[in-house]
Amino acid sequence: MSITAETAKQHANDPAVLCCRAEAGTELTPANFEDPAIFPDLVDSGLLNLDGALKLGQVLNGSKLTKTVDSLTPITPDIVDKFDAAEEEAEEAPAAEEAAAAPAAAPVFAAPAAGGYISLHIGEGKDIDIQIPTGIGGGAVAAPVAAAPVAAAAPAAAEETGEAVVVREMTRKHYKIDKVVLGDETKIEGTTLYVRKAAATEGADAQKLVHSLELDVITPDNYHVYSETVMDIQPIATKEDDYELGEGVTRVLDGVVMVVTGITEEGVQVGEFGSSEGYIDENMMWGRPGAVDKGEIMIRAHAVIDNKKNMERPGPIAIHTAVDHVTQEIRNAMKKDLTDDMVVETQTMKQVRRPGKKKIVIVKEIMGQGAMHDNFLFPTEPVGVLGAKPNVDLGNVPVAANPLEVMDGCIHALTCIGPASKEMSRHYWREPLVYEAIHDDDVDLVGVIFVGSPQANTDKFYVSRRLGQMVESMNVDGAFVTTEGFGNNHVDFTSHIEQIGKRGVPVVGFSFCAVQGALVTGNKYCDAMVDNNKSMSGIENEVLACNTLCHEDAIRGLAMLKAKMAGETIKAPERQYTHAVKENNVELIEKAYGTKMELVENEQSLPISEKRKAKYD
Amino acid sequence: MENIQMLLKQGAVGRPCAPVVAVGDKVKKGTLIATPTGLGANVHSSVYGEVVEILEDRIIIKPDEEQPDEYVKIAKGSNLEMIKEAGIIGQGGAGFPTFIKIYNGKDDKPVLDHGYILVNASECEPGLAHNIQQIDEDPAALLRGIHYLMEIAGADKGIIAIKKKHRETIEKLDALLKDDPAIERHLLPDIYPMGEERAVVRECLGIELEPDKLPSAANAVVINSETVYSCVSAIEDQKPLIDKNITVRGMIKGGSEAHVFEKVPVGTSVQALIDRAGGFDERGYGEVIMGGSFTGKATELDAPITKCTGALLVTRPFRDLHGAKVGILVCACGGNLERMEDLVAKYNGTVGHVCYCKQAAEMPNGTRKCERPGNCPGQVKNNLEFKKAGCEYIIIGNCSDCSNTVMASGPKMGLKVMHMTDLAMMAVGHPLYRTLKVSKKVDQDLNVVDNVEDNETVQ
Repeated sequence: MSITAETAKQHANDPAVLCCRAEAGTELTPANFEDPAIFPDLVDSGLLNLDGALKLGQVLNGSKLTKTVDSLTPITPDIVDKFDAAEEEAEEAPAAEEAAAAPAAAPVFAAPAAGGYISLHIGEGKDIDIQIPTGIGGGAVAAPVAAAPVAAAAPAAAEETGEAVVVREMTRKHYKIDKVVLGDETKIEGTTLYVRKAAATEGADAQKLVHSLELDVITPDNYHVYSETVMDIQPIATKEDDYELGEGVTRVLDGVVMVVTGITEEGVQVGEFGSSEGYIDENMMWGRPGAVDKGEIMIRAHAVIDNKKNMERPGPIAIHTAVDHVTQEIRNAMKKDLTDDMVVETQTMKQVRRPGKKKIVIVKEIMGQGAMHDNFLFPTEPVGVLGAKPNVDLGNVPVAANPLEVMDGCIHALTCIGPASKEMSRHYWREPLVYEAIHDDDVDLVGVIFVGSPQANTDKFYVSRRLGQMVESMNVDGAFVTTEGFGNNHVDFTSHIEQIGKRGVPVVGFSFCAVQGALVTGNKYCDAMVDNNKSMSGIENEVLACNTLCHEDAIRGLAMLKAKMAGETIKAPERQYTHAVKENNVELIEKAYGTKMELVENEQSLPISEKRKAKYD
Repeated sequence: MENIQMLLKQGAVGRPCAPVVAVGDKVKKGTLIATPTGLGANVHSSVYGEVVEILEDRIIIKPDEEQPDEYVKIAKGSNLEMIKEAGIIGQGGAGFPTFIKIYNGKDDKPVLDHGYILVNASECEPGLAHNIQQIDEDPAALLRGIHYLMEIAGADKGIIAIKKKHRETIEKLDALLKDDPAIERHLLPDIYPMGEERAVVRECLGIELEPDKLPSAANAVVINSETVYSCVSAIEDQKPLIDKNITVRGMIKGGSEAHVFEKVPVGTSVQALIDRAGGFDERGYGEVIMGGSFTGKATELDAPITKCTGALLVTRPFRDLHGAKVGILVCACGGNLERMEDLVAKYNGTVGHVCYCKQAAEMPNGTRKCERPGNCPGQVKNNLEFKKAGCEYIIIGNCSDCSNTVMASGPKMGLKVMHMTDLAMMAVGHPLYRTLKVSKKVDQDLNVVDNVEDNETVQ
């Protein structure tokens, strides 16, 4: 595609190749040239031979064609009347600089060719065609994403005088549960949790769309249990007294989690792009922030709802509300039955600010397209339903939270898109990026912003502009933007990065991209990205939480943001997705910090399911 | 004689007119039968006969046996009033009411400021012949019409845009233009598109208009040559627009030469015209296109022609692609997505992927206009997408220049390229739109032979 003057300038050192037939006598302008971003594909497929081609910068100074030539002809000295000399020194200098700045390996895609449109089609309930201004060679080409650099990260030495300031504190009291019994009463005795079975029936009865809700207990001695798609995984926790989220004391049960599953009457999974149904031990990526940890007991609440309601908002909302009826009863028992002598661990969580350090903000894009793409914000109880507002009803506009609120369950996630890239409620409860940022002495985390991802493009850009303004008013030095899922939400994800980036704030993005989730759009601010992919093949493999943000990603992201805030260039990634980028970055980080990074396992550590065998690996 | 069907909406734009006759009414040629309810123009009966049915979208008239040449004349008035009264709409494309194009709607202030009347005589759709034949037969009337329009619109200059290949007709025009300094002609190359109104403005005046701009932004009005003749008939003969010149061509018995029918009553059916041309070729056919092969649409045999129907093209039969994956490249110069999907279905293909030409800018009404008609923005990226989507074939509707670009990479990638006009072009004996071998510029001197390498290779 023809390029703009700006793109031509960015690619001054790339070969000049005509996009279209041009006649003898034509004075060459950027509009005559093909976008160098797609040359590798053309060379690969034998369509283009760049030997002897002049560079764009050499032929845009009034050079005229002396011969009529066809599309995809590289400009060579014999077909132009004149050309500028190649800038030898200029070429060597950046190379040297690059070598010096070596520790920065990094990601992202080359400068986008401006203009034009990419059409993308999203079939979800109703069909919607979206048009977005293109950045990079749109959807077509390789994974735009990659991982981090780390410039021998600004040795913490510097002259920061300010002491860390504790803004607020919160206590988590942990209580051990090693046995769950379903019975006639909800109570806790010692380390045994009794759950009243009828609570589920009552929960279902109160919801018109829920036909049935049944509880069962899955124990570590047999995880080879079939399960319908997992809609959510939730910690079981309650506030002491009248404390609000993020303050005072939270009681949490260790060793047990709520697992919400759902289907319609005719057996359709309540999921969208794939679903995680199957044997739990084959479909659960143990230990991910949002998943179940090996050794934990699951209280499975399985709902059956009206046909066709799986993809309408009231359906998933009814399931979550019904399940919360059960959980709330457990919370009430926790308030009543737990005593301080039963506490096995007390954890003090502090929100600290570090005046004088680089101020950063974490923006978390959460799904807000409707159906199960929704989240209850700020319930009264951790990951509760009561008192919360769905972000869809809030118009998906950005909402600020403090780090303790996040880790105290201020997001009750209704779960979206692919199981592997979805952030469950438990993910926020253990959010690695918030955890790592708040414990990083080099940065001053000002807060967390949640912004919904609406369905319509106009709404996406609406919330994105509000986000940009909010971040501007925070006066930060850097920002993270994370997202879950892939596809539709990448439209606003990249727009968020642009809105923040164009205000001069360095941004690092987190998303699952790899092979299957390559960004459908992009812009010049998307030059620092961390790929959350863990799967071997770079795909949405339907293994629950496999490709979600983990501590290793958070560490890479922090390193990358620090490098970017220090003014270092982040190197573009390989054109095709490769694990090598991440591996290089990890190596750089280990070298710079002198530590060893433990990387998490992927689906290959699980017994392979029939589904995975057939569809993926 | 078959019943005549007068559509209440004769053009692609505007609102349907409201009937002013009732079932049982006797009508003559030229009787006013429907008037505008919004954007639109009067509709007059094209025959003598009786109104036998009024449907939601059309008035059906049973013609009398006797059809005298006389017609009911429109009232005398100013030239503009007569153009309006005659129900003249643009006959080159969408059928925009002519009087609205040349009148500001409220006072005597002309729409142009010493501007230009640009006559589109490019007959841009391949295989058509009725426009040039009309000019060839009476070039003097065209010039008179241009003067009428210049006066109404406030133009100082008229320019006739015509393809250089029509040498004999151009020579006739030149003989008259010697004595008419206000009008000149501009020679066009024989490539597609040249008749798109912004292309005409660019070629004649050197001004490249944005897709959402009208020629008035270049101080010009673009008007199709046949429309100019209709204005002359209205002004000089008080004749309403009731008949139309039509090219019928393609898979017709007797060969692929153009059949030009003059003064065909509006409302005549497709079948009647094909019969008049000799009937369908016994080897069969694919579809009948109403209009040109780029911008027209497949039609039914009982459909009536309207004031802006220019041609009926009967195509070769469709090949069977046996469900192969076909990529669709939609651009503004050819068919829209709906038309392209129709073609893929007729080829028995499966739509594998859809791309839009980078320059096919979407207008607020959902149609597309090319940002730089006839000048390609590059296509290889689309081809990469088609390839990636696993398409075996691609079907394109692009202009000469863009088709050439598609060909520069498509076949090498193993994509089999089809052009939406292929079956029509084979049927009329026109080269297929693939590679471009002629220059996009022609010398304005009729005697200078341009850089024509080889534009006549039929594939």
